[in-house]
Amino acid sequence: MPQGTYTVNVPLNIEQIWDFVQDMNNWAPLVPGYIAHEIKSERESTWEFKGDLGFMKKKVKLGVDIKEWNEPSEVIFDLTGLSDNFNGGGYFKAERIDDYNTTMTGHLDITAGGKMGAMINQILKKFVPTTTEELTNAIVEKMLEINKVHL
Amino acid sequence: MTTHPTNWDQTVDVIVLGTGGAALSAALSAAEEGASVLALEKTNQIGGSTAFSGGVPWIPNNPYMKEAGYEDSAEAAATFIKRLALGRADDHMIDVFVDNAPKVIEFLREHTPVKFKTPAGYPEYYAHMPEGLKNGTRSLDPLPFDLNEIGEWGDVLRQNPIFPPLTLEEGGAVGGIDFEVVADRMENNIVTMGRALIASLLKGCLDRGVTVQTEIAGKELIADEDGTIIGLVAETVNGDKKYIRANKGIVLASGGFEWNKQLVKSFLKAEISTPVTPPGNEGDALLMSMKAGAALDNMSEAWWYPAMVDPTFEYEDNVMAQLGGGREGPNSIIVNKYGKRFVHEATTYNDMPRAMFEYDPVAVEFPNKGPVWMVFDQQLKDSKLIITMSPGDPIPDWLDQAPTIRELAEKIGVDPDGLEAEVEKWNGFCEQKEDTDFHRGTIQFEGLTTGGGSPENNLGKIEQAPFYAVPVYLSALGTNGGPRINEHGQVMTYANEPIKGLYAAGNASANPLGPIYPSAGGTIGPALTFGFLAGKHAATH
Repeated sequence: MPQGTYTVNVPLNIEQIWDFVQDMNNWAPLVPGYIAHEIKSERESTWEFKGDLGFMKKKVKLGVDIKEWNEPSEVIFDLTGLSDNFNGGGYFKAERIDDYNTTMTGHLDITAGGKMGAMINQILKKFVPTTTEELTNAIVEKMLEINKVHL
Repeated sequence: MTTHPTNWDQTVDVIVLGTGGAALSAALSAAEEGASVLALEKTNQIGGSTAFSGGVPWIPNNPYMKEAGYEDSAEAAATFIKRLALGRADDHMIDVFVDNAPKVIEFLREHTPVKFKTPAGYPEYYAHMPEGLKNGTRSLDPLPFDLNEIGEWGDVLRQNPIFPPLTLEEGGAVGGIDFEVVADRMENNIVTMGRALIASLLKGCLDRGVTVQTEIAGKELIADEDGTIIGLVAETVNGDKKYIRANKGIVLASGGFEWNKQLVKSFLKAEISTPVTPPGNEGDALLMSMKAGAALDNMSEAWWYPAMVDPTFEYEDNVMAQLGGGREGPNSIIVNKYGKRFVHEATTYNDMPRAMFEYDPVAVEFPNKGPVWMVFDQQLKDSKLIITMSPGDPIPDWLDQAPTIRELAEKIGVDPDGLEAEVEKWNGFCEQKEDTDFHRGTIQFEGLTTGGGSPENNLGKIEQAPFYAVPVYLSALGTNGGPRINEHGQVMTYANEPIKGLYAAGNASANPLGPIYPSAGGTIGPALTFGFLAGKHAATH
């Protein structure tokens, strides 16, 4: 299963991080290659983005369903391919270090199905970890900007 | 042309522009003769159009054929090429090709890692013609190549988004793909087709001390007082200029001009949509050779392709034209804006688009100007790979569909009465098992791996809703015209004199065989051959 996990220390307290990640509208536009997203309900949304697979780019539409909101430390979601045959999930986890610092972990797993699944999963093996790292870093950067923290 | 500088930044024997099949063949043969060779690549990836392609050279009478038991001769091949060329090629150059192409392949086999196989079950495109080869094929299938053999160069080998890492024989170009094998090859860095050909040629070049540089383009040729080309001005991506002297010659092999809109408008018969090549092919060699006084040939010709598009894919920031699929299958026709068929839909990719140039002098228009439309039904959707849709895949947003033919026509802007009548007529042909308008089901190419076309395999009614349509665009696998060359690959003037020190090969030159595509590998066969001859002549004269 192609997956990626990326952990980074953030000079913010855990509540500041929760304020940001609890609302998908905040971080959906930070997905690498973001095109658009639409909130369908409190837990359901659709996202469209252009994934950079290295040798080509592919527009993808997927559904994101929030499975769990565990305030203030965890958002867990499912991913379903709407334009292409894949599914998976992911989470953001925050772990308090002290009042001013938090460890944040992003995780994505995406698995392609269908006849071409074996081939596409080879491509995703590079794409998913890269995207996980880029997305997590983009979220951290945005949170630091909002909270006016300069490193 | 620029006058030569007081000081040269670098001096070598032979400069080769480009790193595609023609270029690396030239670099390899020049280095084999002991020349110091510098190959310059404009983009950040090695391999040009060849790496992007099936990597198949069409080589008559080649040694692999003989071993496979297929009979051929230089005479038979020359007769066949002349039949296709219809007087549009120089007979002498055809003879040079059929005489030398097998020798080049033999040399590569014996002295380099460039190895091929005669693909079983992959016949010649024109096997149905009297002059065509009936048994076997002249096309050669590159053997899988382990990218680890070229070390870090593997990282800059141009990616091929068109073909999966399978050989031609394994179905890399015609379907029946085993995706587990594909995944295993990807995991283990094993490449095939165009990438295998380029990687193995590159290995041969590196073994002979050829220096390869990326992200540096040839910009201007430099001549001495008597007009001999003695060097060039190259420019890096940062705009830094380098004056490089070539003691023995320069080989222009940097691809065609299909990505240069101005040159396309000036020379080709019609504008083409996104070409099925890397975007670096902007006519650099053509512009330089024109300045040097080269004679030009075949300038209105390209290696045509009827491309289809899945708009969700992009290659280097352009919507990626795909090789399509399905047009040979039953349950489909291709129509113009009047809803009328205008061609045998499943003729070869270089032939079918020629019907799109037809001019109606009464209506004063080009009625078949693209995009035209492939119209098909659920039966085809359920049975063939169409663009990127495998049978059973969900219907993507970009695919037009409707419950009736009339509604489909209205949706895509095609005359509904015309399309309804045409589908009815087509279904009648299917019932009588004969297409009396365009003869579907009668030629080799539409049943390439199933023994040729037949009414059973290629005529099928369009009758099961929903009905679908995809646009078909005029595209190209590269351009066919450029500076005229002689038997040594030297660029010629209109006075029929060689321009000393200047050579061309591949899509950077006029195809020596004229505007023909004899079968799979019709571009790469001449490119490897004349690239090799050019490199050798440059190094030894």
